[in-house]
Amino acid sequence: MVSPLVVAIPKGALYAESAARLRAVGLDVPEDPGRKLAVSCPDGTQILLLRPTDVPAYVEFGAADCGIVGADVLWETERHVCELANLEFGACRLVVAARRSDRYHEGAQMPTFLRVATKFERTTEAFFAERDVPVQLIKLHGSVELAPLVGLADLIVDLVASGNTLREHDLAIVSEIAQSTARFVVNPIRFRVKYHAITALLARLDPTAVPA
Amino acid sequence: MRLPAGTRDWLPPELQRKRAVEAVLRGVFQRWAYAEVQTPSFERFDALELGLGDGVAQKTFLFNDRGGTQLALRPEMTTPVARLVSTRMRGAPLPIRLSYVQSAYRYEEPQEGRMREFTQAGLELIGSSGADADAESLFTALEALDALGLSDARFDLNHAAIIDGVLNNVAWEPAQLATCKRLIAGRNIVALREFLSATGHAEAAGDLVGLVMLRGREDVLQRASERCSTAEGREGIGRLREILARADRLGFGERLAVDLSLLRDVSYYTGFIFEGFASEVGFALCGGGRYDSLLPRFGFEAGAVGWSVNVERLLIALERRHSSQFGDAPAVDVLVSGSDVLAARERAAGKIVRIDFESRSESELLSAARAARIPRVLIARGGDVSELEVTW
Repeated sequence: MVSPLVVAIPKGALYAESAARLRAVGLDVPEDPGRKLAVSCPDGTQILLLRPTDVPAYVEFGAADCGIVGADVLWETERHVCELANLEFGACRLVVAARRSDRYHEGAQMPTFLRVATKFERTTEAFFAERDVPVQLIKLHGSVELAPLVGLADLIVDLVASGNTLREHDLAIVSEIAQSTARFVVNPIRFRVKYHAITALLARLDPTAVPA
Repeated sequence: MRLPAGTRDWLPPELQRKRAVEAVLRGVFQRWAYAEVQTPSFERFDALELGLGDGVAQKTFLFNDRGGTQLALRPEMTTPVARLVSTRMRGAPLPIRLSYVQSAYRYEEPQEGRMREFTQAGLELIGSSGADADAESLFTALEALDALGLSDARFDLNHAAIIDGVLNNVAWEPAQLATCKRLIAGRNIVALREFLSATGHAEAAGDLVGLVMLRGREDVLQRASERCSTAEGREGIGRLREILARADRLGFGERLAVDLSLLRDVSYYTGFIFEGFASEVGFALCGGGRYDSLLPRFGFEAGAVGWSVNVERLLIALERRHSSQFGDAPAVDVLVSGSDVLAARERAAGKIVRIDFESRSESELLSAARAARIPRVLIARGGDVSELEVTW
């Protein structure tokens, strides 16, 4: 007897669209998650409402069978989950940015030992290591755009959707590291155990993801 | 006093469970005529390195002896067994059937089901390249999980040559082929599609993704055979059909499926591949396959097939389903007070005997026996022996 599906979705920026997509395929996901941790749908499917950065761990350990999560979160956690589909929503870019007045975006010479503030430690480290640029990473948990303004860092690495936040703080994009969108991820073993339920859900979420 | 990360102590009830599981596995290995071997915990790294895939070699604990020779804690058991067979059992009649239950060590990020010191149990069937050997390897694994009470565990099968035969339709550079197979093995469909577009093979995406997302039996093999363009690949499909037919006759058929993305360590397996899993845990319980290129690296031209299981992972799965089959501490049969001779007689009769050191009174002994669920108490006092039955 195979138990019902457990689907993890992120609270935060991707919540509204994730919930709307699941509602569109008949799952009873509230518009406003409030303080809820989990909801059960009439067909037995369980929806876990998680912090975005926790989704990969729940799926890797099989506490959830599958889930929706931003690619940016997957880069950082490097959990062993299968990325089955690009759901295309929640688009944003991970960029390197600096104070406009430093003119790094126009090619001005940067300090030889850069201080880089970011929430995205792994991706940032890999990006600069690949280019052989030595950097000192400063791990922050929020309001990263403040760091160059107060002299804490020369550069920041952060997610940008519209670019408004950067402009407001007089920051400019120096280079783009990667583009992120929402992904449908699955636990590699549960994909096998609940093959029919998972591929059926995925086919309804993204008809191109499961070729006939 | 902290233990190093990724290691653990085993207290009596936990070790009791682990030993019980190991005993069941050893029993299955024995019934299939596999003889147990033991190898050193550490070996010269240059010898081990011959057999390790890249992923495992990077996770090996390394150290030097006083002469500066680089040594390594064994990160798995297949390579040491291959070394042992190639160097010390060359003259033995083939096939050779060997089993092991030993600790192995890997420098991992510790988490549930992934410790730096763990117990690998498994077997290797060396010197036979036929379907008989592949089938035997799968059946031993199925029976091992059955014997542990995991008779609903399912197994996915594949053959390494099939995906090669499918990918053969596209002209790849060697590095691209390796990347492509790694993405398939991780079932990373998003990156696979991106990779195919970036390398100018977007037209192959639909077909390839379709195959990798498929899981079934004859339907999968049929689709694979339509797209597989090498003789080796078609032989692989034939091999899987034969193994499945034999498994059906043993009643295992319902629990088996074909999954073309099951490649495990991409560079290691040369033929049949399988993996066993249960619904409770999100990781595989056991896995293995055919690795015909390993023994030749040790100068011994022989094919081999084998599988292993991580005993700690089995314990997690058994705990999840609240299996009570493995867990009871050995019951004490009798509590003896006041006579070494009496205790010796009981032990000689095969009883588990606990000796009272404190010459406690009859009522104290009775309540101690009751608390510890010991059904009999023998008390020797001044030449008299009294025997009491304990109820609770």
